[in-house]
Amino acid sequence: MGRKSKRGISLGDVVSYSLLTVAAILVAMPLLWMFSTSLRPTSESYQLPPQWLPTQFRWENYLAPFDSSVPFVQLFANSMKITLAVTLGQLVTCSLAGYAFARLRFPGREFLFLLLLASLMIPGQVTIIPIFLLMRSLGLIDNHLAIILPGLISAFGVFLMRQFFKQMPQELFDAARVDGAGHIRSFLQIALPLAGPALATLGIITFNAIWNSYFLPLIFLNSWDNFTLPQGIALLTGYMGAGNPSVVMAAVTMAILPVLAVFIVAQRWIIEALTRAGIKG
Amino acid sequence: MQNSTAFKGGILPEMTPKRREAVVGYLFILPTYIGFVIFILYPLIESVRISFLEFSILRDSTYIGLENYARMLGDSRLRIVYMNTIIFTLFAVFFNAGVGLLLAVLLNRRLPTLMRNLYRSVFFFPVLVAHTYIAVIWRFLYQQDTGVINYYLSFLGIEAIPWLSNVHWAMAAIIIMDVWKNTGFAMLVFLAGLQSIPNEYYEAAQLDGANERQLFFRITIPLLSPTIFFILVIFMIGALQVFDTIIVLTAGGPGDATRSVVLYIWELAFRNFDMGYAAAVSMTLFAIILVLTALQFVISRRWVHYE
Repeated sequence: MGRKSKRGISLGDVVSYSLLTVAAILVAMPLLWMFSTSLRPTSESYQLPPQWLPTQFRWENYLAPFDSSVPFVQLFANSMKITLAVTLGQLVTCSLAGYAFARLRFPGREFLFLLLLASLMIPGQVTIIPIFLLMRSLGLIDNHLAIILPGLISAFGVFLMRQFFKQMPQELFDAARVDGAGHIRSFLQIALPLAGPALATLGIITFNAIWNSYFLPLIFLNSWDNFTLPQGIALLTGYMGAGNPSVVMAAVTMAILPVLAVFIVAQRWIIEALTRAGIKG
Repeated sequence: MQNSTAFKGGILPEMTPKRREAVVGYLFILPTYIGFVIFILYPLIESVRISFLEFSILRDSTYIGLENYARMLGDSRLRIVYMNTIIFTLFAVFFNAGVGLLLAVLLNRRLPTLMRNLYRSVFFFPVLVAHTYIAVIWRFLYQQDTGVINYYLSFLGIEAIPWLSNVHWAMAAIIIMDVWKNTGFAMLVFLAGLQSIPNEYYEAAQLDGANERQLFFRITIPLLSPTIFFILVIFMIGALQVFDTIIVLTAGGPGDATRSVVLYIWELAFRNFDMGYAAAVSMTLFAIILVLTALQFVISRRWVHYE
């Protein structure tokens, strides 16, 4: 709605402030409950009325997952390993392909790009059965490679990087050519150093998606040594008994922390990137 | 100059510059295309083939023509999971888009920038958190006797709701949680759309004596319609594939009350190893999503021309 130029506070302002505040409280409450419960003595974690801000600070709840029979450190390390491998892999493959589709001319370029882009329409559950059979024949069931390998490429990432490389001024590349730089050097020494924001955007989106992913680990991994954090925490709820929400919430809080940290540091990028991805249509 | 460039490129120095550019281009897209062929193109074709087979990793496969497709017609569980998915999709899309639009409109009013950014961050943050973790938290909140939600509802005189154990409430529980998590994304995109509407339109209309209601329905909504349409389609495609949200919260239960199509496909393929039939079911979902995407493509193109 138009921002009106007239000053003073209208009834509409009061209503909208109140609605926004109520909505913000409703959105924040489950996460506040998670945090305050994670710090409560386990005997009081079901206590009603609920407390929204922590009044007690049982930090030892945060140690409990590490002492339990659930290999929490291992789960964390597994998730981190898969997430970093996929993110780094995508940064490499997507920036290479994005650069080629944006700045290099070769026969079939437009067709190959559109074909790749069309694959965005294919839902993951359509391809999962053959991928499972493939991984099985390669002996990669219950192996992190089964999740990492299909994650190494991304049509969305190629699209994102291509858009970015396309916007770079041609003069930069002309100047490099005059200085005798080949295509590979132009890419490595001119395009890539300037692509920081795009790489950060792709990196953050991929990191978040893989860190949170559940479908593939559920299908491919079947031992506690190989489970990822979301799998572990989903199992933890039943495993540690529903009677111990404090410890479960401490584990969930720790699992969400990397996401929160990334969000605080890179909020502007995330919001811009997702908005742009959304607007592009 | 030509020669030195060629040598620095390092590959076949005698190639023409044009040729060299093409070779580098193909080399650069090679990793992506290898992955694309192995993990998207081949599985897609293979999936179509499997859908014509009686296929299980436990036995040899046999060609059975359209039998898997015919079997779907008589599969009462498939009807149930499709109904569930459609109900979830309708409600989730409506509320995600509706609440998102409302929040965006409110945030786009005269507000201190700091406040707008703070509220926007709060609304958006759940989008980044895994469905799995969200569901673990909400499972506690939804507890019938000890849950926080029923505790507050009791003040309104509402008796303890069996959120996760009742066939009707379980679906409502999933939709509420989904909207809580995902409406922030709709809000973000709508807000960007609203901010791209030039202020002059509103000023001109106000000079002509338009009231706020008229401004909203005559300017905001028409100019925002491509964004609204985009959000509806994106959320619809996402909701039709719902899996993570459900599996941790209710695992499809009670009974089949919240089982979605993808949960059913997963169960068929990886619990019952009835992979031929699972592949056939996945084709129906694929077809629906293709139609929606094509629709989105055609209509959004028309809109771009209109503006």
